[in-house]
Amino acid sequence: MASPSHPDIERVLWTEDDILGRVAELASQISLDFEGGSPPLVVVGVATGAFLFLADIVKRISLPLRVDFVRVESYGSGTESNGAPRISSDLKLDVEGSRVLVVEDIVDTGHTLSALIAHLRSKGAVSVSVCTFLDKPARRKVRLELVGEGKFYRGFECPDCFVVGYGMDFNELYRNLPYVGVLKPKLYS
Amino acid sequence: MASPSHPDIERVLWTEDDILGRVAELASQISLDFEGGSPPLVVVGVATGAFLFLADIVKRISLPLRVDFVRVESYGSGTESSGAPRISSDLKLDVEGSRVLVVEDIVDTGHTLSALIAHLRSKGAVSVSVCTFLDKPARRKVRLELVGEGKFYRGFECPDCFVVGYGMDFNELYRNLPYVGVLKPKLYS
Repeated sequence: MASPSHPDIERVLWTEDDILGRVAELASQISLDFEGGSPPLVVVGVATGAFLFLADIVKRISLPLRVDFVRVESYGSGTESNGAPRISSDLKLDVEGSRVLVVEDIVDTGHTLSALIAHLRSKGAVSVSVCTFLDKPARRKVRLELVGEGKFYRGFECPDCFVVGYGMDFNELYRNLPYVGVLKPKLYS
Repeated sequence: MASPSHPDIERVLWTEDDILGRVAELASQISLDFEGGSPPLVVVGVATGAFLFLADIVKRISLPLRVDFVRVESYGSGTESSGAPRISSDLKLDVEGSRVLVVEDIVDTGHTLSALIAHLRSKGAVSVSVCTFLDKPARRKVRLELVGEGKFYRGFECPDCFVVGYGMDFNELYRNLPYVGVLKPKLYS
């Protein structure tokens, strides 16, 4: 295990190399699964947390694709989800008739993702797939229903602790750490 | 010069290695220039084009920072700027009293950036700096005025041709190329 180089980080869960390796695997799989077909795949990143994962993964997907962002607000400034998601910043692109791949940083309760999938369905996406960097299946409260021939991809299964880095924040900080770690508890308790 | 590996690309201007090298240089400079000070720097990426540059550069900035996105619409679907920018998707974060670093993919006429700087000033930013991946100074129509002790950083000076890749699109495609190239003219003429 790499020693954390940041004084606020208790331990590192995935290093930059761990992450890039997994990103490459996911991107290869996605490139195979979505090969061919028209119109091009639309990759939708969920701002802000997924921005690093989205960037790294699309560079490795060897298909024509379009990119867009949405913002879904549900987390407060602490560590617990308040469970009431709303699309605070919508798509710019028209996804009618398109296959969509949602790129998330983390799925835990599933509330946010569920709301977003429903939104994309209502916008006419023919399929909605999900690629989440981290998955906390133990925290799932909502059963996720993908659309059409949608697929679910995940980077890593995440232990039930509060992680930061690689896009994920605590009070908007730590997003720029190139690795994922656990915050020292004194910082959020 | 690397041979383009994509059939639609005439020639490669900057390879993935060229880009990562320059990103590292810029990030070091930014880390020095913004060291210390409170509250933390706010890095604002201009969606969608700057999303790859933003991701790569914040991972290398070794300072506490917050990240946000804005969307400014001005380009049509072709290769010419329509010159009338509007903030179609605003900040989530409060930048009152903060130093802000705008991260752009490309500055050409300066219209988009000028509008965004004014917007950030109106939101109470104490300084507004700009870090643009590409700069086309020959195309400048507007003199840019930074705010406070704002600095201007640029990755590369770009020749006056239509470039794609590394976040930059033509009709929403090619953003995911990890390098920057020139499109074959038959594709947009």
